[in-house]
Amino acid sequence: MKNIFLKNRYTLLLTVLAVYVLVLVIEGAITGREAKVVKFDNPFFDLNLNNFEEFMDNRD
Amino acid sequence: MDKFALNQFLTLLKREVLEHRNLFVLAPAFLALLLLFAAFWISKQFPRDQLASGVAYLAMLFDGLSPVDMAPVFMIGAIPFVFLLYTYAFVYLMNSLYQDRRDLSVLFWQSMPVSNLKTVLSKVVTIAAVAPFFYIAVLFGVYLIAMIWLTLLGIQFDIEIVGIGYMFLAAVVSLVFVYLSAIVTALWLFPSVGWLLLFSAFAKRTPFMWAAGVFILVGFLEDFLFGSQYLANWVESRANPNQYVIFSFGDLVDRLFNYDMLFGIFVGAILIAGAVLMRRFTD
Repeated sequence: MKNIFLKNRYTLLLTVLAVYVLVLVIEGAITGREAKVVKFDNPFFDLNLNNFEEFMDNRD
Repeated sequence: MDKFALNQFLTLLKREVLEHRNLFVLAPAFLALLLLFAAFWISKQFPRDQLASGVAYLAMLFDGLSPVDMAPVFMIGAIPFVFLLYTYAFVYLMNSLYQDRRDLSVLFWQSMPVSNLKTVLSKVVTIAAVAPFFYIAVLFGVYLIAMIWLTLLGIQFDIEIVGIGYMFLAAVVSLVFVYLSAIVTALWLFPSVGWLLLFSAFAKRTPFMWAAGVFILVGFLEDFLFGSQYLANWVESRANPNQYVIFSFGDLVDRLFNYDMLFGIFVGAILIAGAVLMRRFTD
C-alpha cells in the first residue's frame, strides 16, 4: 500500500488530497458545519448575507 | 530535542533568513522609511501653532492611561506592515520548496544530515515566528523615532510631554499584541500554509496555478461526489480576522485553545506531512 501511495508525486498528491477532503467532509457532516458569512450587528445597520433577499425587501 | 538537533534547526532558520533577507528585513525597512518620510512631510504642511497644539493634545490624551488598554489603538499603525508581511509570506511559501528543486539546492540539503521534516518545519517556523519578529523590530524602530521626534517637538514648543511616555509604552505593548497575533494567525491559517507548501513541493512549474486550480477543482469534486459543500463552508468559516487577532492578553488562551483552531492545525499537519513526503521526489 505504502509503495502505491509513494510511487510518484501524482499518487502522493492524490492520496494527500483524498485524506484532506475526507477529513473535512466527515468533520463537516458530524458537526453540521455551515458557512459563517459576513454578518454585521449594530444598532444602526443590520446586514446578514445569509438572507440577502429579505434585506433587499426591507430596504424597499 | 538535544543540543545538536536544536543547533541544526537554528542553522536552518538562519539559512532561511539569509536567503530571504530582502523579504524579512529590507522590505519592512523600506516601508518604514517611506512612512516616516510621509509623516515628516505631512507635519511640515501644518503651521507651527497647530503642530504645537497637536503635540500637546496627544500628550494630554495619553497621560495616565493604561498602556495595555490603549495598545489596540497603536495596532492600526502596524496594518501596512502586516499586509506586507502576509503578501511576502504568500510568495515565500509558494516558492520556497519549489525554488529548492529548481536550483537543485535540494540535492545539497538532502546530502546533509538534515531530514525533510526539519527543512519543511524550518520554513513554517520562519514564516510563523521569525519573519514577524523582524517586522516588529522595524516597527519598534519606527515608534522609537516617532517618539523621539514628538519629544523634541514638545521641548521645542515648551509643552508638558509626560503623556508621550505613556504613548510610547502603549505603542510597545501594541507590538507584543501584533507579534502574538502574527503567531496565532499563522496557526489559524495552518491549512493554507500546508496547502501552499504541498504545491510548492509538488509542482514542476507554476506552483501558484497548481495550488489555485486544485483548490477550486477539489471544491467542485466534493460537490459532485458527496453532494455537499463542507470544504467551501470550512474555508468561509475561517475568514473572519476576529478569530485570530489579539487585542488583549486574555484573548490569547481563547484564540489558541478552541476546537476550530486545533482542528485547523490537524488539517494543516496532514498537508505539511504531504509536503514533507513530496520532498523525496526531486526530479
